[in-house]
Amino acid sequence: MDSARWERVQELFHDAVDLPEGERRSFLQRACAGDESLIDEVLSFIDEDAEGTLLDRGLAHAATRLLDPDAAALTEIGPYRIVRALGEGGMGVVFLAERTDLGSQAAIKILRDAWLSPARRERFATEQQTLAHLNHPSIARLYDAGARSDGTPWIVMEYVDGVAITDYCRAHTLAIADRLRLVREVCDAVQYAHQHLVIHRDLKPSNILVTTEGHVKLVDFGISKQLDGAGGALTHTMTGLRLMTPAYAAPEQIRGDRVGVHTDVYSLGVILYELVVGHLPFDFSTRTPAEAETIIVEQDAPRPSAVAGKSPLLAGLGRTARGDVDVLCLTAMHKDVARRYQSVEALGRDVDHFLNGEPLEARPDDLAYRTGKFVRRHWRGLAGAAAVLAVIVGLVTFYTARLTIARNDALTEASRAQRIQGLMLNLFTGGDEAAGPAEDLRVVSLIDRGVLEAQNLAAEPGVQVTMYRTLGGIYQSLGDLSKADALLRQALERRRVLYGADNAEVAESLVALGLLRAGQAKFEEAERFARDGLAMSKRHLPSNDAAVARATTALGRVLEDRGSYKEAIAVLEEAARLHSSREPASADLAATLRELFNTQFYAGNLAIAEEVGRRALAMTRQVNGDRHALVAEDLINLGAVQHERGQYSEAERYYREALVISEGWYGKDHYKTASNLTMLGRSLQMQKRYDEAGDVLRRAVAIQERVFGPIHPRVASAVNDLGAVAQNRGDLNEAEAAFTRMGAIYRSVYGEKHYLIGIAVSNLASVYVLQKEYQRAEPLYRQAIAMFAETQSPQHLNTGIGRIKLGRALVGMSRYAEAETELLAGYDILTKQTSPSVPWLRAAREDLVKLYTASKQPEKAAKYQEELAVQRSRVQ
Amino acid sequence: MIETGPGDPPLEELFSVAYEELRRLASLVRRDDRNATMSPTTLVNEAFLKLAGAPRFKAQSPLHFKRIAARAMRQVLVEAARRRHADKRGGGAVVFVTFDESLGSKVTTAGDVLALDAALEALTRLQPRQADMVVLRFFGGFEIVEIAQLLDVSEATVLRDWRAAKAWLAREIKRG
Repeated sequence: MDSARWERVQELFHDAVDLPEGERRSFLQRACAGDESLIDEVLSFIDEDAEGTLLDRGLAHAATRLLDPDAAALTEIGPYRIVRALGEGGMGVVFLAERTDLGSQAAIKILRDAWLSPARRERFATEQQTLAHLNHPSIARLYDAGARSDGTPWIVMEYVDGVAITDYCRAHTLAIADRLRLVREVCDAVQYAHQHLVIHRDLKPSNILVTTEGHVKLVDFGISKQLDGAGGALTHTMTGLRLMTPAYAAPEQIRGDRVGVHTDVYSLGVILYELVVGHLPFDFSTRTPAEAETIIVEQDAPRPSAVAGKSPLLAGLGRTARGDVDVLCLTAMHKDVARRYQSVEALGRDVDHFLNGEPLEARPDDLAYRTGKFVRRHWRGLAGAAAVLAVIVGLVTFYTARLTIARNDALTEASRAQRIQGLMLNLFTGGDEAAGPAEDLRVVSLIDRGVLEAQNLAAEPGVQVTMYRTLGGIYQSLGDLSKADALLRQALERRRVLYGADNAEVAESLVALGLLRAGQAKFEEAERFARDGLAMSKRHLPSNDAAVARATTALGRVLEDRGSYKEAIAVLEEAARLHSSREPASADLAATLRELFNTQFYAGNLAIAEEVGRRALAMTRQVNGDRHALVAEDLINLGAVQHERGQYSEAERYYREALVISEGWYGKDHYKTASNLTMLGRSLQMQKRYDEAGDVLRRAVAIQERVFGPIHPRVASAVNDLGAVAQNRGDLNEAEAAFTRMGAIYRSVYGEKHYLIGIAVSNLASVYVLQKEYQRAEPLYRQAIAMFAETQSPQHLNTGIGRIKLGRALVGMSRYAEAETELLAGYDILTKQTSPSVPWLRAAREDLVKLYTASKQPEKAAKYQEELAVQRSRVQ
Repeated sequence: MIETGPGDPPLEELFSVAYEELRRLASLVRRDDRNATMSPTTLVNEAFLKLAGAPRFKAQSPLHFKRIAARAMRQVLVEAARRRHADKRGGGAVVFVTFDESLGSKVTTAGDVLALDAALEALTRLQPRQADMVVLRFFGGFEIVEIAQLLDVSEATVLRDWRAAKAWLAREIKRG
């Protein structure tokens, strides 16, 4: 068909489509002057129109499915599945999430713009240990944390359904005493954390939630610490490219001085001020962030009694009381750390004094020293910049080092690198701050300035282009992909001009662009760039050159992002080979190997995965020592391979080795240790060593109970394991108790309708079946099936399994007709979903054979007998 | 096809920003919520609202932007479909069950989306404006009146072209 014909067809279509069918044919006969093919064509379109097309259906449902983060290909965010977004904070987006295996709900924060190097990833993981230990009713618990393979950190916390404390007080128009009582609760929680050596660093109303029951819950503890090296204020600049109004930030945070317990005291002081006065001490709405910072460091907050004179909150108070409110707030917010409340406990005590009508411990005379000589006028030029500087220089060094291309003239390279670093440093130091305009110390604007400076470097094109490349890389790491794009492309163009079209420098730029494109999800371009870059670098550099190795890794990563796993594996292996030929052991190589392991394991290439896993283990030991948490991770990986193979005693060996390390690293009471124990327990179970398995799993349960409380989905899941072990051991009473408890916990947590309750009920029913108490089992199975069908879907795997189980119970009662219905239904569901050699499918087949034999239908029995034989032979 | 003024950000940049934003929004898609489905329309509107505030996009007319977003949306979905389609773990073509009982057993697979995409390419060669219309309506959720405005034709024309395009695409998909 060509355009002209299409025009014609359309004309005829529109004229004919709405005619009654009888008239249609004759109309077309006339209009087409007997051209049969034309008539047929028009009619075919009319048919389509009548039928309704995909385009009528709309894309909504398909889109929903299509756009799911694909959990099947990669563990998207650890074992968690996102349910919906809860909100966006300064550091990332918070989602409501659910664990796919446990079904427990949690809040998961994905710190999207915070790129973590492998080294920092480790530190991040280590830091979570302390936070997970915080076990206080007013602190939202940290459950889990990790980083994806691209370095994006994620944190899983207890989901708290509440509102910010300021909003709560406003909405309920709380009187001052009630507000102070809430603050008291907050002080309690913060004090507890301090005792456990955790400083919040980012206390603000949105981090202090109040539940509908009126209780306080603190969230986001210590998270800001994970993302910067120097202090809390940087968090805002690094991770969001948005400088948050630092309304609650302490002066020392802004100055870049040491942060401590006193920092939290300050933030609490500001919140207290806001709650008793009704608004913040300073108004930053018309100020630049730089001005705001100056105010915090140098300007005194107005006394609450002076400012809120007409406010109903303070209205009912006498003169002494109002004076006390002043002292409370302003002592907490004192700019001189020495004159602040020395601990949150001290602040809390004075709040108590106030509520009891007693005199405060803090002295009002201290307030006279509020502004002081201790405030250094030129603080900006000093510590503040230094902190930012340290981070930038770190980044620059990182990137500059990566850019070093092995050349004969190593000295020139070194001096060039130094020159670049010097230039970057110059951006941030220099100038008498008192004379010049207020400096904007945001990382972004500094980089922007860097770009401007680079533009003035036309006289030194080599340096200039490296600056562009470096800055582009920094933008990419900060998440500003479009700026990175512009810079990297500029760098590429300039390199072409400077060095020619085909050389090592241009190759590096191509590779960099490839990685960027992968980040932008433009995979075809990404692959093209990466391949071109790699090929070009090979043409000009020795094959084991660092740049070639990096280009190879980049290609591997791009292929992995595309989903071309087979190729990715090949390329990553090559990359590993190259890395190792340069340096036999390095943390980067170990990390590469770990990724390779995952890919292979996931692709089902167990033998290869094992080999890679061994290499990774050896290297991690070499690089990190024998007792490092990563060694445990590698050991568990190897254990998983063995477990997958059915080599359970081998798996056990690995898990035990890992356990020693886990306990040493995380402590005996840590959820990671618990999960290590669980894996060990499962391997013991598979070896039918039920007593030992029981012991180990009980330990795991105990830890979970201590860490998460007795009514927690994690505990329920661990109890489930225990029940399974007891069942296998033949201790049906214990199994019954376990599954009953499991169901009870899930009911407490989720209410009546949740598929996990279905699983608990179904497991319990299975125990009855083992005892041949089919009458007790049947109603439970029906309950479970109904729950699955309702909360998941009638076609869900769990529903299918449930029906097969019910079928078995019915067979046990010789109710063959009903059994047949259930078994066939379950069988049907399963065959549509999983690969056919799943144990449940086998069970269904066995039962159907039994059924048909008993009801004298040998042909049908034979059919399923045959399938069983096929299944068995496949497993061999 | 799209005119940009001298001061406007290049088309490619607009597109990539729209694309990135859509991908980001797509990751917020609700799952398994029987009462809500995330339609491309909603995503495009959300992306538009989010980006329209940004200074560099202020010069763009809303419809102009939405059109770019619609194209980006198509890209996002087609790529997602491609990934699904290629995903061995899914065991081949993955079938998505719709919640709409009235459709009975009709489902829209990743393969369908890819087929539609290919058919659209073919339609573009035949009648570009019509293909454009489909992208706007189907991926961008444009109203008939919005399409008419953007393409500077009458609403009646839009309705006719849309109807014919649907039939053509359906047939093309069946043949492919």
